[in-house]
Amino acid sequence: MIKIVLVADDGMQVIAKGCTDQGIDQDRIATSLFATILSQAGLRRSQVRRVVATGYGRARISLADTTITEITCQAVAIHRLLPEARTVIDIGGQDSKIIRLADSGRVFDFVMNDRCAAGTGRFLEVVADRLGVDLVDLGPLAATSREPAVISSMCVVFAETEIIGLLAANRPREDIVAGVQRAIAQRIHGMAGRTMRGPVVFTGGVALVAGMQSALEDALGLQVVIPQEPHMTAAFGAAILARDIQQGGHYFLGGQP
Amino acid sequence: MIRLPERLTLDQLDLHYAHLRREGLLLPGQYGPIGRHVSDGDTRLLRLRYDNSPAALRLWDLLLTEEQRLAQWRASGKRLVGAMKDLGTVPVMAYSSDRLVAFYPDGAWWIPCVMEVNQGLLSIADSLGIDESFCPVRAMLGAFVTGAHFPIPDLLVCSVGAACDDFAAIAQRLNGMGLPILWWEMPYRRQAGPSEQAVQLPGGVLAPKVLVDLVRSELGRVRSAFEELAGKPISDQDLANGINKANRVRLLLQGLRRLVFTSVPTPMPALEMLIAEMLAIHFCSDIDQTILVLEAMLAEVEGRVAAKVGYGPLDAVRVFWVNPVADLRVMNLIEECGIRLCGTDLMFTHAIDPIPADLQPMEALARVALADPMVGPMSERAARIAAQVQQLAAEAVVVSRIPGASHCGYEGQVIADIVARRCYVPTIEIEVPPVADSVEATLRTRLQALVETIRSNRPICHTQV
Repeated sequence: MIKIVLVADDGMQVIAKGCTDQGIDQDRIATSLFATILSQAGLRRSQVRRVVATGYGRARISLADTTITEITCQAVAIHRLLPEARTVIDIGGQDSKIIRLADSGRVFDFVMNDRCAAGTGRFLEVVADRLGVDLVDLGPLAATSREPAVISSMCVVFAETEIIGLLAANRPREDIVAGVQRAIAQRIHGMAGRTMRGPVVFTGGVALVAGMQSALEDALGLQVVIPQEPHMTAAFGAAILARDIQQGGHYFLGGQP
Repeated sequence: MIRLPERLTLDQLDLHYAHLRREGLLLPGQYGPIGRHVSDGDTRLLRLRYDNSPAALRLWDLLLTEEQRLAQWRASGKRLVGAMKDLGTVPVMAYSSDRLVAFYPDGAWWIPCVMEVNQGLLSIADSLGIDESFCPVRAMLGAFVTGAHFPIPDLLVCSVGAACDDFAAIAQRLNGMGLPILWWEMPYRRQAGPSEQAVQLPGGVLAPKVLVDLVRSELGRVRSAFEELAGKPISDQDLANGINKANRVRLLLQGLRRLVFTSVPTPMPALEMLIAEMLAIHFCSDIDQTILVLEAMLAEVEGRVAAKVGYGPLDAVRVFWVNPVADLRVMNLIEECGIRLCGTDLMFTHAIDPIPADLQPMEALARVALADPMVGPMSERAARIAAQVQQLAAEAVVVSRIPGASHCGYEGQVIADIVARRCYVPTIEIEVPPVADSVEATLRTRLQALVETIRSNRPICHTQV
């Protein structure tokens, strides 16, 4: 999805926000969404003093003054929202990331999975499609599971084959969904590898799927916190950094945005 | 007068070549413009950016004319040795005989990159059961089948044992196709037991004497095979002379690395440094030309350092780089992202450390071979990386994974853990396929995120996580 967040000069108040589905022409979609948000907020383009684009499409957004990676933007947003956080798990539709934060709230290091759909929201989409369930219903369905199925394959394509086999064996759909959530959480745990420090914050669209939070907590053995609107945090971080850069770029000079 | 360093496209480089030629500024041995290799199928060259020095031009020419050179050597009566997996010791022995020339068939792993997978070498490997679950060095199999990239050597030599699993499987497949291979055993380098005598190896690691003795004995078999192939003995004095020449290459590379990795601005781009460092293991089939090229590179770099000219921003993020990349374009990309290299471990540090000249030649060669970072515990390699990270004041480490390479499955985490514990700098992993165009956006994101991370942390020292 494409998301936009506008923050006020004080960097605290969110003036407007919105999101829309992705498409091939990201620039056109972003420009259109931007116009809609400005209109809803009663603002003119000239009143927006700086735009930062983030995410994989960041270089294609013509209205952006600056581009910053989503790793940095996530860290900035989470430090603002939950300053005590030390790890961010971000699971989006196409990739997943684990960002380790230093005590300063800045990124210490990160790992990313962007080569494989396992451990991403795409895995859930494939499962929902195969089970004939809406994505939003996956969580409630998984919550009714008494015995999550074991999904042994870490490849989405092969996992889909496993799911077909489980359905043929009359395993309840809720057990399959719960099993897939567990598989994603275990994949994230495997990605983390090194010691994970809490508090752990869970962001990205997949954080909105009920059941994923507890699946992650079980896999990691740590409490996992989901901020409000977890799918918007990178955009929020980009907005904070836009305001920071406008005022002198303190973040990249070691200060707080 | 020093020319200002400048990155050139291939077209610009060829124009630059013509200019240097007119002005009589080309280095001796330059065969022609680099662009001529595109018509041979080396299309990846069109996507690279090149340093504009005559020395770098000569470096590229040396690299890209190896096939031609091997044919010339064969026509002149030299016997060709294919030295596989060893990464730096067997070629030294071969070049100790005036009748032998060694080359490195493993180097075919860059053909899918340089020719942008158009030659079908990986497909041939697939058809032979060596699929993409193996390291891209499997392209070597295809090169042997087509015979289009190097001549079939008169003798193939390959280390096995603690050598990498992928390479062992690939070389065994080659052997099974009817190509005879002289195997020699490389034992796993372990700590000496309480009752064992330990021996110091180049690079600072220790190994039990019994292992050094074993490797010396194995290399003795290789020496005998070389003598038979050459039709004359290789004396200890011949070996000592060969070691001296190899050490000349190693010392030139050490000098080059020291200046390039520590000077501000960086006087030579990462791409040319990668090519130069690789010369340590194979000499591009001509050790004398290799020495001349490296001398020219070092002189160019010394001139640039003295003139305080170079590449990139003065505050570029200082990164220590681990493993060679399968796609050369990535070396350009890292600099586009604001990174400069301040050190490397390209898996063959033992080919850059000087060979002890105060030991019997075979003993010295055995110790060098056993110092191979890939035949011992990964923690020893990681410790050496951490020590260099500290020494070179690196701000981050990038571990470049090679798709399919067995060691890449576990080394990143070991290196990251030890580097984080000892140096408190971040380590990230990337994976670089032979042609990385389709993943360039994701590679760029990781590298830019690393640059942002370092830049935003710079004023804050010794933060605890």
